[in-house]
Amino acid sequence: MGFEDRLRRIRGQGGGTEVPPVPSPTDGPTLAERLRRVSTGRAVPEPTVTRTPDEAALAAVLGADILAPGVLRLERRIDARLRHGRGLLGQAHVPQHLPWMPVHPVGWISAAHPPEAHPPGAWLCLDTETSGLAGGTGTWAFLTGLLRAEGSGWCLRQYLLARLDAEAAYLELMGAELGADAGPACLLTYNGRSFDAPLLTTRFRLADRSAPLVALPHLDLLAPTRRAFARVWPDCRLATAESRLLGVQRADDLPGSAAPAAWLGWLRRGETGPLAAVLRHNRADLLSLAGLLPVLDAVYRDPAAFGADCRSVAAAHQARGDQAQALRILAANRRDLDAAGLHDLARLYRHAQDWGRAVGIWEELSARGDPQAHAALARFHEHRGGDLGRALELALALPPGPERERRCRRIAEKLERAGRNLSLGGLG
Amino acid sequence: MRDSGPESTKMPAPDQAVIRLKARLLRSYRARICGDLVRPATAASLLELPPDLAPGLREALSDRGLSQLYSHQREAFDLAQAGRHLVVATPTASGKTLCYNLPVLDAVLRGGKKALYLFPTKALAQDQVAELIELGRALKTAGGEGVRAYTFDGDTPGDARKAVRTRGDIVVSNPDMLHQAILPHHTKWAQFFEGLAYVVVDELHSYRGVFGSHVANVFRRLRRVCRFYGVRPTFIFTSATIANPAELAQRLCGETVTAITESGAPQGERHLLLWNPPVINPDLGIRASARSQTTRIARMAAVVGLKAIVFARSRLMVEVITKYLKDVFDKDPRHPPRVLAYRGGYLPSERRLAEQAMRAGRVDLVVSTSALELGVDIGALDVAILNGYPGTVAATWQRLGRAGRRLRPSLGVLVATSDPLDQYLVRHPEFFFGASPEHARIHPDQLLILLEHVRCAAFELPFRDGETFGAEDLTEMLSYLRDQGVLQHQGDQWFWVADSYPANAVSLRSVAEGNFVVIDTTGGRQTIIAEVDWSSAPGTLYVGAIYMIQAQPYQVERLDWPGRKAFVTRTQADYYTDAIDYTRLKILDRFQGRTCGLGATANGEVHLVRRYPGYKKIRYYSHDNIGYGNIDLPDQEMHTTSVWWQAEPRALESALPDRAQAIEGFLGAAYALHHVAALRSMAELHDLGRAVGDGQGTWFAVTGAEGRGQLRGPDNAPVDGEGVDRFEPTLFLYDNYPGGVGLSAPLYDAADTLVRDARDLVAGCACTGGCPACVGPIMPGDEARAITPRAAALAVLGLLGGAVEVVAEHGV
Repeated sequence: MGFEDRLRRIRGQGGGTEVPPVPSPTDGPTLAERLRRVSTGRAVPEPTVTRTPDEAALAAVLGADILAPGVLRLERRIDARLRHGRGLLGQAHVPQHLPWMPVHPVGWISAAHPPEAHPPGAWLCLDTETSGLAGGTGTWAFLTGLLRAEGSGWCLRQYLLARLDAEAAYLELMGAELGADAGPACLLTYNGRSFDAPLLTTRFRLADRSAPLVALPHLDLLAPTRRAFARVWPDCRLATAESRLLGVQRADDLPGSAAPAAWLGWLRRGETGPLAAVLRHNRADLLSLAGLLPVLDAVYRDPAAFGADCRSVAAAHQARGDQAQALRILAANRRDLDAAGLHDLARLYRHAQDWGRAVGIWEELSARGDPQAHAALARFHEHRGGDLGRALELALALPPGPERERRCRRIAEKLERAGRNLSLGGLG
Repeated sequence: MRDSGPESTKMPAPDQAVIRLKARLLRSYRARICGDLVRPATAASLLELPPDLAPGLREALSDRGLSQLYSHQREAFDLAQAGRHLVVATPTASGKTLCYNLPVLDAVLRGGKKALYLFPTKALAQDQVAELIELGRALKTAGGEGVRAYTFDGDTPGDARKAVRTRGDIVVSNPDMLHQAILPHHTKWAQFFEGLAYVVVDELHSYRGVFGSHVANVFRRLRRVCRFYGVRPTFIFTSATIANPAELAQRLCGETVTAITESGAPQGERHLLLWNPPVINPDLGIRASARSQTTRIARMAAVVGLKAIVFARSRLMVEVITKYLKDVFDKDPRHPPRVLAYRGGYLPSERRLAEQAMRAGRVDLVVSTSALELGVDIGALDVAILNGYPGTVAATWQRLGRAGRRLRPSLGVLVATSDPLDQYLVRHPEFFFGASPEHARIHPDQLLILLEHVRCAAFELPFRDGETFGAEDLTEMLSYLRDQGVLQHQGDQWFWVADSYPANAVSLRSVAEGNFVVIDTTGGRQTIIAEVDWSSAPGTLYVGAIYMIQAQPYQVERLDWPGRKAFVTRTQADYYTDAIDYTRLKILDRFQGRTCGLGATANGEVHLVRRYPGYKKIRYYSHDNIGYGNIDLPDQEMHTTSVWWQAEPRALESALPDRAQAIEGFLGAAYALHHVAALRSMAELHDLGRAVGDGQGTWFAVTGAEGRGQLRGPDNAPVDGEGVDRFEPTLFLYDNYPGGVGLSAPLYDAADTLVRDARDLVAGCACTGGCPACVGPIMPGDEARAITPRAAALAVLGLLGGAVEVVAEHGV
């Protein structure tokens, strides 16, 4: 009894449509029949029709070259004056303000052996299209788009895997672009750190090749975008970022989620149209990636100008040790800060020994009944301002608790000592 | 370490308190004790530590008082070193942990080797890691390298997973994680796989039936991924005592496995009493409750200063017994409690406190569910009392092993409930002291299970032409998957192309897709509390059904059939429900057959149509039928495998001339056979189904609403038995999973034994005319009939087993 027949037999019985057993050349039912028999009532999908895809036709439709059987590459020079959204694409940008610079390779772990510095501006924008979003070893990166700064413009190279058994060659050819021979490069991605890079690394691993990506410095723009806009935008997808920051409105764009179906349509039925749309989509993603870098750089210089979250941007600068930048941003946007933002600013003033401005903020907040500001002022008057009476007054206004008790007791003791000293002095 | 090494080679002096308690029980309750067994003390068999252990390991072991090994530990080490797969099936507390920890630590310390430990539960995994961390510390103290052991389960936070993958020497996980998280992402684990030298599988005996069949396929996938990374890890299994540890391990890992069954660990004298509560209603065969007997024995133990553990089968029973014992021993709140309950459902911190109290000896009586059956360290106890048979002989021994840890004599008492299996076992002490009767069965080539794992394997690595996976024709399976659109064949490889993650759709605990989830909606919540296999859902989840989880009854309120959901609420019902099962079987294909007594037995493929027209409400304890409900569900159809018996028509006619009685005899025989078959195949009762019909689907027999056997036709309408042309009743025991999971072929092989067991069960029952402990519930007055249901069942079993029973007289 064939496998398919038995399967049909176990399946399908509870499932409605009765599929007639397919006669098998061997004795007994086919696998499908066997499965149908044992199945528990879920519909078994109809077999799909398969047609042989024509690579030459695909290359012609895409305007791509066949590098090797099953590996196509589309190559285009892109002028820096190309209009992309509201502005021009521009040249490779060297960020001045992004607290994420300089960037390190993904595989870099040890602080004792920092990687060699890479020349800034040697950006290699990378974006893949995949056979699914589930991850795992069964997910393919069938299209790898690379956009590299070249001369005064850009060079776009899209590598397409057109045959499944050509992946080794595909990885070889595409990997050469990432290797040291292709010149210094710094990866620029959007969500590539947790998606594209690990996925490609898996593909290289499966093909028994070392993955070139781990050695490259890598700047993922999702992190700075999230920092600046997570609390402002409904989401931080690339489409949202490019539309809000670059003014890019894509017409007739194939949604990224349609990419798996487009590739399968090619593999199974030789369809070329949807795949061409995937390539256009990928190219648009890469252009936005290149375009976003200078804008995000500007966001981290002047977040308010872009409606970004000033406090969060300042915190990013501060986390990198750039207090001055953080202070400048918060001070410039003082009017728009909430209590937490004002505390951040006061803290920065305090670190800068600018007590006058720090106290100014605390007074302002204290007048609004902010307990944290009471505490800060009490601390200030006790240790620095030398006004113990005012310190006690403020400490008494703190919310009840051990903190208040401790502070009040300490200040009272100090007052008593001071009073004693005073009276002793008076006697003397 | 959990199982410490040799403590002493001296034979222990007999502890008089335990012996005296046993003597007293024998004196006072002679009639209730139907088995009194003694296993003499055994001395330790010790061997030297292996001469060339990795640096630091010998010192670390010596620091922990281990300067020698038990013989089985040394044997395991030597086999593992030689790269031979092995299974250690020695008793509880014989130091099984060291059997794998020693070779693993040696390999880790020697040179960057890795090991994967698989435990069936998270709690066991945590215990194991705690122990490994302690050993690692001892190794460091001894001046050696440490060892990094991490758990990897659903609770491992995302940011810690990378560290586990890249730095763990020993990763402690479970089969589900291996299946869903590790294998489909094996490239992330590349470093780990490249060094993988050992795969340790604890609690082998729990990998049976559907679960075991799945896990065998997960191991096929594991070995395939290992080949990709150029390694061939050695499998080390540990198991409770079952009849076929090596065979099971072999079927699981697909290679020859050597069994180590001789323990070198010393053991104190073990006494086991099989205790049957007294009959209080001889007509109905009703016995006093097991609970009353259990509390009595526990009280007697505590009074003479012995420490005892009571095992109950449900959480509810744990609470009830605890209450009864606390009423006696913990009346004074000023004294620390002497009685303690320990069960699942408590917070981990509560459990840790309870474990500490037990280890410190502050508690005299512990009442527990199976939560304590496994390796949780609770120190020494003298007496173990089992309130009911735990379901398998292996589990019985694991529980009894809780008493007598320190070489002192120990006493175990198994108190039978009125369940047929309990009643059967207390009358058969040889099941406990002879060779294990339990064969754990798996069927890794079950078509649906196999296909799911071929799918998962194809996702993990492309198949190449000529590769094999399981016993089916792989090319045919791959072509099937290609036709379904998930694979493409190009060059000599089969590539995964679908946009999905197949492992997520495969549960290791069910056959085929479409499990039902049970959702508790009590108090407006929506909590998933259970999953029910597709094939058993219709008989357990219908509107009005009482569904039990850990002895807590829930009532099914609503059913979402297409969505595979049952919505339930907690209830206080004092009854349970039993679906009326109209199952028609048609024999499709006879694989094998032979004559057997005055009948024949065979096995083969059957087509089954099952309808549940309604259900009975049955009160607890009295088993009174207190009402009916209707079930409105479509007919269930299933193809599966079955073993069946038929009696030679003339012999049947002369033994039981009345056809109604013949049917009754077959139904009673089926009831008894069903129970003893579950015992032999280590299956749950619901893993097997039973039915009586004619084999062609023209009629089938059911126990009707009024409690009598009756015949029904293909349209479920009643049929007159006397009017049937060819009256050839057939008794089926079928595998209750679509396609079968390999339960019926072994039953066919053991058909003679099963019939003999079933006859023993019925013949040895204390009732007069039949009862739920032998042939199933009977009608009032049946015991007074000329041929009782029990006599009829014996007559049928006699025909199937060869002996002609005399049934003319009243009773047996």
